[in-house]
Order: sequence, then C-alpha cells, then structure tokens
Amino acid sequence: MQNTAKTALVIGAGPAGIEAALKIGQAGYSVILIEKEKQIGGMVGKLCSSFPRWENPQEMLDLKTRELGKFLSNITLLTNTTLKFCEPVEKGYLVILEDSDKELNVKVDAVVLATGFDLFDASVYGEYGYGIYPGVMDALEFENQLKDWSAHKSQTEAPGAIAFFKCVGSRDRSKGNPYCSKICCMYTAKQAGLVKELFPETKCYVFYMDYRSAGKGYEEFVRSVIEEKHVHYIRGRASKVLPQNNRLLVRAEDTLMGIPIEVEVDKVVLATGVIPRKETARLVEAFGINTDQYGFIESEFGSPAKAGKRVFFAGGCNFAIELPGAQYQGAAAAAEVINLFYQDEQEER
Amino acid sequence: MVIFLPREKAGELVDGLYKKVDSYHLVENLESCLACGKCVGNCPVASLTPSYNPRQIIRDVLTGNMRRWLQSEEIWRCFWCAGCYTGCPVDIHYPMLVMQLRFRAIENQYGLKYFTPFKRFALRAREDALTFAPGAKGRERIMRLRTAMGVSPWPEVSEKAVAEYKALFDMTGTTEWLNAINDEDDKPVSLTYAAGRIKDEQS
Amino acid sequence: MNRVRVVEPDQRIPEVPEAIFLFRSCTGSMEYPGTENAIKEILKLLGIEVVMDPDQTCCSGYLLTCSGYLPEFSLGVTARNMSIIEKSGLPPYVFCNGCYGYLSELTHIMEHNPAYKDMANGLIGSLGYHYKGGNNIFHVQELYYRLKDEIAGKVVRPLNGLRVGCHYGCHYLANQYGILDDGGYPAFHEELIEALGGTPVFYKERQMCCGYSVGRGFTHKEELVQPHLYKKFKSAREAGVELITTVCPGCNVALDREQPALAKKGYEFDIPVIDMGQLIALALGVPVEKLGFGANTVSVDKVLKKLGVGKGD
Repeated sequence: MQNTAKTALVIGAGPAGIEAALKIGQAGYSVILIEKEKQIGGMVGKLCSSFPRWENPQEMLDLKTRELGKFLSNITLLTNTTLKFCEPVEKGYLVILEDSDKELNVKVDAVVLATGFDLFDASVYGEYGYGIYPGVMDALEFENQLKDWSAHKSQTEAPGAIAFFKCVGSRDRSKGNPYCSKICCMYTAKQAGLVKELFPETKCYVFYMDYRSAGKGYEEFVRSVIEEKHVHYIRGRASKVLPQNNRLLVRAEDTLMGIPIEVEVDKVVLATGVIPRKETARLVEAFGINTDQYGFIESEFGSPAKAGKRVFFAGGCNFAIELPGAQYQGAAAAAEVINLFYQDEQEER
Repeated sequence: MVIFLPREKAGELVDGLYKKVDSYHLVENLESCLACGKCVGNCPVASLTPSYNPRQIIRDVLTGNMRRWLQSEEIWRCFWCAGCYTGCPVDIHYPMLVMQLRFRAIENQYGLKYFTPFKRFALRAREDALTFAPGAKGRERIMRLRTAMGVSPWPEVSEKAVAEYKALFDMTGTTEWLNAINDEDDKPVSLTYAAGRIKDEQS
Repeated sequence: MNRVRVVEPDQRIPEVPEAIFLFRSCTGSMEYPGTENAIKEILKLLGIEVVMDPDQTCCSGYLLTCSGYLPEFSLGVTARNMSIIEKSGLPPYVFCNGCYGYLSELTHIMEHNPAYKDMANGLIGSLGYHYKGGNNIFHVQELYYRLKDEIAGKVVRPLNGLRVGCHYGCHYLANQYGILDDGGYPAFHEELIEALGGTPVFYKERQMCCGYSVGRGFTHKEELVQPHLYKKFKSAREAGVELITTVCPGCNVALDREQPALAKKGYEFDIPVIDMGQLIALALGVPVEKLGFGANTVSVDKVLKKLGVGKGD
C-alpha cells in the first residue's frame, strides 16, 4: 500500500539514516533523505575493514545503496543538501532544504536526526605532538592510511613500529571529556590487526588503560589480535611523545610490571574520542530538543529513539556507536515513525 | 635458597587511610585515580629509580596500606615537579599528597634525616623573612654583586615584614613544631617498594 | 575552576598595565639580582612602572613543599602578602615559577576552602591585615609574550642566530588552566627567542624538570639530581644549545650551580644559564653591567662575545 501523503525527513545518510530511510520507505511511506556530503555512507565509507568479522564496509554500503535504489519511487535521496530552516506546524514541520543552487520548501510529518559523530581534535594533547610531529595522526587519518597501504602494499616499505594510544580525548576530565567513547578499544584492535596482516614484521604496540570488548565476538576478536597477530598490548596510558633519531619516542609506564618504559616507533595513532558533529548543535536548536552537556541528543523517558515532538534520532548523534548498533537504532527510529504515521492515518479516518 | 614473600594481610590495612592522610583536604579526588600510569611515564625520579612509583603509592594510600610508604625512602624522592599533575587525566595533585605523607612520616619519626636540612633552613628563614639567605661570606658576595649593579646592597625587606613573618611562625605553632623534632629520634627508612623484586645485580 | 586550558595573551592580560606590583623572589634577589634588575630595565623601556614593597615577605612556598612549614603558616603568609598587593591596587607579577606556583596554589586553596581563608584572615587580622580574596597571579613571562611585538620592535642587539634552549620550568605550566600555553608542548618562549633574532632549539629533554625543586639538591643530590641533570644537559649539548634561558631563579640555581660538580665527575657541559629577562634586556640594549652576570657560576662571556657585547657596553 502506498501512501505518499505522509513524509519523513531523515537528516544524514550514514548507516543509521540509510537504515531508517529504507525501513520507512519499505513500509510504503515517503522519505526525503538528505546528506551534507556528496557521497552517502558517513563513517562507513571511510573505514578499512570492520569488527568483529573483518567484513568489507564498502560491500555493506553497496548493498544498502542497491536497496535504496529499489525504492526510488518513495525515497528521495538529496546529497550536498542541508537543512536551512524549519518551523513547527500542525502535525509536522515546514522545512527549507538547500543545496548549492536551489532550495526546496516542503512540509514533513516527522524528522529523524542521524547526523552521526565526529572525532575529538587531539591538538589539545601537546604531550602527544598531534599537529607537530608528522608521524602522529588520529584514528580516521590512520584508517585512510590503511586503505592506502592495502591498495599499494607491494610498493610500500613496511614501517618499523607503530604505537596506538587509546583513550585520547576519552576518560579524561582534564581535557573536558570524562566519558568512554565505547568503540575505540575495538577499532584500535582492528587497526593494529590490519597492520600485522599487511606487514607481519612491523611491531605494533597498543597503550591502554583497559580494553572494552563487551559485545558478540568482541573479546575473541581482541584476543586473536593479541595472540594470533602478535600485537603487543601494554597497560599504561602514554605519557609523552618525543622526537628521537628522526623517529618518535614514546614514554609510558608498563603498569602491570610497575616500571616506566620507552619505545621508539615510526608512527603514533591516537584513538581519539567521539564527539557530536557541529551540525547537530544547530539542528537541536532548530527543533528544540534536549542534549546532554556534551551535545549528544537525549531521548525521552521510555522512548529511546524519540527526542521531541515528531522528532526521532538514530546513530552517532546520540552517542558513540558501532556499525550494527547504528543500524538497529535507525530501524528503531523508523518503527517509531511508521507507528506515528499509522496513528495519524487512523485519526484522519 | 627459598625466599618467602609475605602476602598482604587485610587485617593490617587501615580503613579510611586516605582521609586521614589528606588532613589538609588538598587531594580530595584521590579516588578518581584510574591507575593509568601517565604520571609515572612523566616522572623524572621514576625514570632514574623505578622503585619510586607515584601510582603505586596512591594505590597504597587508597587501599589503606600505611606501613609500606611510611617507612619507605621513596616518599622522600619526589621532586615536586608536578609533571604527574600536569598529565593526570583526573587532575590529582600528587605532590600535595606527598607533602602530607611526609608530614605523617615526620610525626612517626621516619626519615628525619631527610627533613633536618629543611628544619635548619626554616628556622633561619624565620629570622630573615627570606628563604635561603646565606651566611656571612655569602651575604658579602651578594652585597658586592648588587652594589656593582647599582642597586641596594641587600634586598629591601622592612623590619615590619621580618617581625610579622616571625610572629606568624609563632602564632601558627610552626616554631614549636620545628623545635620539637629531634634528629636523634630518626627511625631508619629503606627502599620499601623495591622489596620483593628480583634484583638485577648489573643494573 | 577555569576549565579553559590555553588562553590567548590578550585574554590573559586584556589591557597592558601601566604599573605592576613586582613580587620579590628570595632566590632571585639574592642569587641572581641581575634578573630583578633586568626586569625593571625592560619594563622601563616599555613604559611600565614597577612598584615593590619592602613589607612583602618570602612567599613561603618552597619550604612548605619540603614539608618544612605547617600549611597554616604558609596560608597566613600568603594572605598577608596578598593583602599588601590588594592595597596597592596593582596586578601582582612574579618573576619566579616557584612564587607563581605557590601563590597560585595557596590562593586557590583559600578561594575554594572558605575555612582556610577565615583561618588565614584570623591570623593576619591581629597584625592589621585583611585578604579579600582573588587569585589572579601573573608571571613576567606572560607580560613579555603579551608585548612580544613591542619588544621585537625595540631590539638593538639582535641575537645573531644564537642557539637558545628555553627551559620553562615546571610550576607555571603545571597550573594547566587559563595559562598561555599547553604544558604538553609549550612554544611561546621559543617565539620570543625568534622575535629577538635567536635560533630556538627544541632539544629532546627541553621539558625536563631542573631537579632542584623541593630540595632534592640537598637530600638526594648525588643519587638523583646529578644523573638527572646529566640527561638534560647531554640532550642540550647534542642539539647544539649555546645558552639556556629560565624563568625561575630556582631553576637557574639548579642548572647553573650544579655544572661544576658534574664537571668534576668528568661531565663537562659549560652551557651558560640566564634568565629570559636578562636575555631580552641584552637584546634591548641594556648596559651589561646592570645585568649582574657576575652571579653566574658558568661564565656567560662566550655568549656575550657572540652578541658583540663588550665589558663596557
């Protein structure tokens, strides 16, 4: 049954937004899915492999793109598009969407925010030299480096050693982010594991306080990286990075042994914490919904996907989340929208 | 030869030790310690003598183990450089903790040999309202230098300042406290945190 | 607490003061009087009046941190000194990282523990003083950086590429919040050196503590301080550092006065150590006899020669 009278606006075409749009569209309602960038996929498109099953994120994205393609009659995908203006009206919102050369005025009956997360700027960690020493990079930059290495492995000289620092901009009250960013322990294990796959001779060191692997297959994943791929896990939050011999010297304490150590490496990868995107701040103000003190969207009591009147949310804009989690939340937001539209229709009879 | 290492007995632990040590309420967030070790990685003393480990000392204070640090030489080694505090993700002011651990040690007469030079300096400072003012020969040298530069031979400190500094010493009981500490009561300290480690003869 | 970490110079010092209260440093005025004089000369050239008060006592922080004083005493002394500063109506500027750290910490304690402020006021009340509150302590290094362009404009003796290793010391950067730079990788002293025409050297151990703090130079000199300083100087020498600047007379004592002892053990470094103010004063053309380099253990003559400064300049 097709009922194009009811339209949902999904803001953000990352995994959460795509899932929400698909489910709403598959149920027969109209969806306008807008995406700020020129390509869809959000974080997923930037990833090289995934945890815990080492799947190719690009294949997952291609699958979803094909599914979207089957519902072009009621899912309108607009890339390079942002929300310019919105105003609450009876049972919905009047919105103006804009891209580089035109504007679109439309009334929507529900909104799903799926604007995703960003990574903390590690420049405040002067002790790690981010932005100062070229060998120091954050997790997304390294993900890109991994993609590059995977594509050109035979022409690449294996680095001697790489250090991974966890909890950079997470669990750090002095830098303003006391929370745990949930996904870094897993993606760091993944990144270190990938390096060993590509270059078995490269020494990899992960400097950690804890490793949080609470998920299906997660503990086994981290253990396999340690025991089968031979990544060295050192318990101790890295203290400092210094230049030495044209490489980088890492100072930390091996707390399990209780002695300070120094390791010379070629690259340092900072597992930077998760923060909400700047766009989210503007949108929550526009729709009048609540956030916590960090800018992450807060749900209403009893409705974990609902943020306000006819406004729902999914994915990284709520908090740090891994790929399947974003998809679950997208589906949950979609279910809320579908129910809402069904109730509207019942009332209108 | 078999060496039996003593297990920690829960009965020896002092309940609420952390609050008792922090008598001046200067380190109220000690329980926030994540034991991450970022302090130790930066510590100049730890890099020279690994038996000195701020993280372990904090753990002992939190657990209630008093004996180990009280009789240790380690607590007298801290430079107060605050490199630990600068890096600490929860802003624990560890040097302020060490200052108080040293007060506790002095109260129990441990490590007085490390304290005596400062007792001398403190009582001299009481007379000068200046810290580390040297003896006659040193004073002469300073006065020569200052005069050659065209400034007053001695830093201008008023008599009022000297009198009031002394008065504050006496009013707060600091003079009495210093005078009561007798070097001869000094109880020996040792590298307590090194006990139980396999010693590397070559290091 | 001010949770903002690094602030811009014009946020830290919004308006350049016309006059400042210069807080006397014991070690500065006795061991390196040239430092105090250099500051006065620089500020004279920049048109800022320097006021000092003989009623001011030692900040009393050093011996407190050696556990040599009872905290009640240091709190009382701090409240008394702050009361004198408040009465002057001028912003307090210290020239010693130690004074900076101890005054900041002790005033902060009194701000956040009213019981301590009341106790301190009770003590000094009987002497006729009252401390209102407030804990904004400045260090002259902040003023130099705030007036970097003015200083650069007045340079008459550029440093001719002199290789300078800046020693920041510990207690300014340890304050962490609301200061001019990140304790993890500070760079504002090096910017000043560049403005004076020198070559800043980022040697590997540049951020290492001077090792003297809290009297380890008295109790653990041979076993801790000397190996520690050896590591620092070795790193400086390997990077070709010709001069080390400090912003703390305590650090100056540590880095300058310990070198002969190291030389006696066979580790000769011969790197002169002077205060940042003295270097700026040299660059601004202040006559060298006002800068008191006679106080330095390691001779500064090599550096003076390189800058083309004779004895009579």
